[in-house]
Amino acid sequence: MEISSLLIPHHLHEEVGNRIGAAMSALNPSLSEQVAGLLAIARNKNARIVEEFFPDVPEGPLKETALAIISAWYLGVVQDADDAEVFAFEYALMYQPTRDVMTIPSYAISGPNAWPADAPPLENMPDF
Amino acid sequence: MANDGSADVVIAGTGIVGCLIAEQALDAGLSVLMLEAGPRVDRWRIVENYRNLPPSLRLFHWDAPYPPKPWAPHLETRKEKEQEQYLQLEGPNARAYLQGYVRYAGGATWHWAGLCWRITPEDMRLKSLYGVGRDWPFTYEVLEPYYTRAEHAIGVSGPSDPALQWPPNAKRSKPYPMRPLPFGPGERRLTEVAAKVGMINLPAPQARNSGVSYHGRPPCCGNNNCFPVCPIAAKYDAATALPKLEAKGGRILANAVVYRIETGEKNGIEAVHYLDPDKASHRVTGKVFVIACNSIETPKLLLFSKNDRNPGGIANSSDQVGRNMMDQPKLYAELELAEPLWTGVGPVQSSSILNTSQGDFRKDYTGAMFRMENFARSYVGAAAALKKRLVGKALDKEIRRLSACTARLTVEHEPLPLPDNRLTLSDKKDWLSINKPNIYYDVGDYVRRSAKEYTVPKLRALADGLGATSFQLSPEFFNSDHIMGGCIMGADAKTSVVDPDCRAHDHHNLFLPGGAAMPSGTASNSTLTMTALALKAADAIVDQLRHG
Repeated sequence: MEISSLLIPHHLHEEVGNRIGAAMSALNPSLSEQVAGLLAIARNKNARIVEEFFPDVPEGPLKETALAIISAWYLGVVQDADDAEVFAFEYALMYQPTRDVMTIPSYAISGPNAWPADAPPLENMPDF
Repeated sequence: MANDGSADVVIAGTGIVGCLIAEQALDAGLSVLMLEAGPRVDRWRIVENYRNLPPSLRLFHWDAPYPPKPWAPHLETRKEKEQEQYLQLEGPNARAYLQGYVRYAGGATWHWAGLCWRITPEDMRLKSLYGVGRDWPFTYEVLEPYYTRAEHAIGVSGPSDPALQWPPNAKRSKPYPMRPLPFGPGERRLTEVAAKVGMINLPAPQARNSGVSYHGRPPCCGNNNCFPVCPIAAKYDAATALPKLEAKGGRILANAVVYRIETGEKNGIEAVHYLDPDKASHRVTGKVFVIACNSIETPKLLLFSKNDRNPGGIANSSDQVGRNMMDQPKLYAELELAEPLWTGVGPVQSSSILNTSQGDFRKDYTGAMFRMENFARSYVGAAAALKKRLVGKALDKEIRRLSACTARLTVEHEPLPLPDNRLTLSDKKDWLSINKPNIYYDVGDYVRRSAKEYTVPKLRALADGLGATSFQLSPEFFNSDHIMGGCIMGADAKTSVVDPDCRAHDHHNLFLPGGAAMPSGTASNSTLTMTALALKAADAIVDQLRHG
């Protein structure tokens, strides 16, 4: 969860995090070492948000793992392929940047005919 | 072989067509037995199946939440490598006949868009007016009251303002039972832009409860998940009809695959035979038989049932069974835009442009329907942004931009009934040793010419109007899942399979209603027309059984 919070500046559900960790470890035996490596880079830079240390992450397995962790939180799956286990749908972060307009499919935020024809500006960003 | 019973009306298929006929027969005091190849399922199960799909399978893989049973195969869209391909497709446009229907009780309305366009009077007279295709054997005036009954039977919401109605030149005998659903921001913007290029984006009549409950089903609350499944049954799907049919005394046997239609005296239908999941055969007798399995499964069954008296297949003295296979060949354009066209608000489809389907040009090339797709593009934007290896605020911003500032525009072309577009029995067999359907499909020059000279330029004009910064046209024609023509209707038994009541010319007590009977494909979604034909057939069935 620590590395996830550093990589993703949003509220993260611990239950989802545990499932991501378990699924990724099963696929990647080097995961804990790589996470330790990423944490070390972050601490070195006194980073509190991802932009403060991500440029220092070297290309290669460390960067790929960092991106994979981000992708897993956003998509709700570790690998977006057939038979993948889905561990988050409503809480998958990919739906959050447009949550003020776009319905999360099958999780209606509206009432009977209650959706608007106006949309907030593109520059807005929901809090999450 | 067990003799499993009998009913006045035996119906193969529990889709919208079968269910509407069943209800009318039951209301007339007739006994009804329905045979469904696939299983009964609960809505919550399909919603869970959907929510547990990886995101890449949640769009366009509309059959993925409906894994088929071995005895009732349909198109598999869950596995990338679809090794056990059920539909055997060939021809220059094989890809355009990759039809996604559902062999579950309730049929393809589980995952339909719910759009309920009526066809126009001109759509029914292509031969007389434009010298192409076929005329229907009756006029719009005959069909209109059945459209009205269909709209009330399934609950269609639509405009009361004639300026917004379709067809534009044909008076409605009754208003829609519910008012239109409101547009979201994307549709509102599209309507304004389209009008500037002569394309009229109308609110679509749709079988979705608008503002109120209807027949015990709740109003739409914008789950934006109409396909693959409405989580709350605000969209009509035939599965909701099944308990009502049972309450009225209808019997429904699931996992019962009809494989043979048996003829007898005077070439009337004596019985149908079905296989259960243990591969045991059962025989069902009746007075009138309805095969309403869609325009692939119905002709397939007719051909498979051939016997000495009907060597070309049941109902096939015309050699038209399985021919004239139609669907609307689809093209789409993926756009990137400078300004947002927000999708994901309200239903996944709530409006269409149809004035582009009508006109004198139809003597030269085909007309078409245009629309924007309104499914939420949040996953599409997220997948694209993640591919760019962005992080933090930049990632969120790009997800929002690519979700809001991209769009898909779709065009669906009217097909012609071409005899060489044909379903035959493949040598390959399914789990029950029933031949798989083999379909040859070529969209034809009438469609290709339209794409080149008319519809693709129109797509570009619409894209320009939206301020598109990039335009990517689909590489080939795709399916629209509106399967039509395989048991074509006509007055002449030599050139058609069924009469104006969808009764087989060859067999006085066999009805083949639905998309298969439609003599023209038109540019719009076929379901309401199929439903109207179902009610017309139901009138004929009830009349026939009451008066002989």
